[in-house]
Amino acid sequence: MASGLESYVNHTVSIITADGRNFIGTLKGFDQTINLILEESHERVYSTTTGVEQVVLGLHIIRGDNVAVVGEMDEDIDSQLNLANIRAEPLTTIAH
Amino acid sequence: MSASSNQAQGGDQKEKKRKESILDLSKYLEKNIRVKFAGGRECAGTLKGYDPLLNLVLDNTTEYLRDPDDPYKLMEDTRMLGLVVCRGTTVVLICPVDGMESIANPFVAQDG
Amino acid sequence: MLPLSLLRTAQNHPMLVELKNGETYNGHLVSCDNWMNINLREVICTSRDGDKFWRMPECYIRGSTIKYLRIPDEVIDMVKEEVMQKSRGRGEMKGGRGGPGQRGRGGARGAFGGGRGGRQGPLGRGGGLGGGAGRPNKPKKL
Repeated sequence: MASGLESYVNHTVSIITADGRNFIGTLKGFDQTINLILEESHERVYSTTTGVEQVVLGLHIIRGDNVAVVGEMDEDIDSQLNLANIRAEPLTTIAH
Repeated sequence: MSASSNQAQGGDQKEKKRKESILDLSKYLEKNIRVKFAGGRECAGTLKGYDPLLNLVLDNTTEYLRDPDDPYKLMEDTRMLGLVVCRGTTVVLICPVDGMESIANPFVAQDG
Repeated sequence: MLPLSLLRTAQNHPMLVELKNGETYNGHLVSCDNWMNINLREVICTSRDGDKFWRMPECYIRGSTIKYLRIPDEVIDMVKEEVMQKSRGRGEMKGGRGGPGQRGRGGARGAFGGGRGGRQGPLGRGGGLGGGAGRPNKPKKL
């Protein structure tokens, strides 16, 4: 399949959605419309006033329409992050 | 081919079954249904007819008006539309009015 | 694994669906099709701001308006089972890819039909849903 997501399957991925949210989880599957299956996923909620909040979510199907970015996570680098110290503007939604 | 004629032929069409809509609108005929549209409009009316593309004919239709500043925020106001045809491609959600009710937050109690 | 196979496997399970308009629907999946159109039963609808709630006995949602679906964790294990049994049965008939049309065997389904429970993450975002922490995704009968 041309989409190249195959190499991410069973790897930890970071998804940015059209509404500006960031989901992290194990990519278990996808289809031609980029619908995704994320397992053991969580959401990272960014804020300028407090550290990054992680919300545990579990098993997810994210509809392809809503997917903006799929990136493979470097788990070593990610595990070294101190999320409590990270301050960031939340992303805004995509303007259609 | 209408949804209802498809059903009438019944059993010999097992292979075709998955082409059939998962929504059987015939059960809502002459009943009041609530319809939500892409963009945020909502209305309720008596279902008089439909087709497989989800185009609907509603009678005695009421539209629920929205906050002028927020197209997804419903207000108390309504307006009567009467007999309308709803374009199927813009229909987002259909549910029966019967049994639909506004409730208090059902999730807080479970948190404890 | 295909997302729609997982969704089909999730039939009769509770789930949370968030729409592009921000509304969320908690209910049991009755049926779904290849367009991700779904029927839910025993539904609780939450407004975008999490301040209004409606109960509805059933509803139909057009797939193209869905943002995402949250499904109980254990459902993903049932898909594996279903796929293995399917490929075993199909190997003799024909090779290659099959359409996702056929549903799993009744047996496999029955074997998993029973008890759920245990860990259930919160469904829905924090804001407006009472924090959502620890909230099971199975809407209580009211």
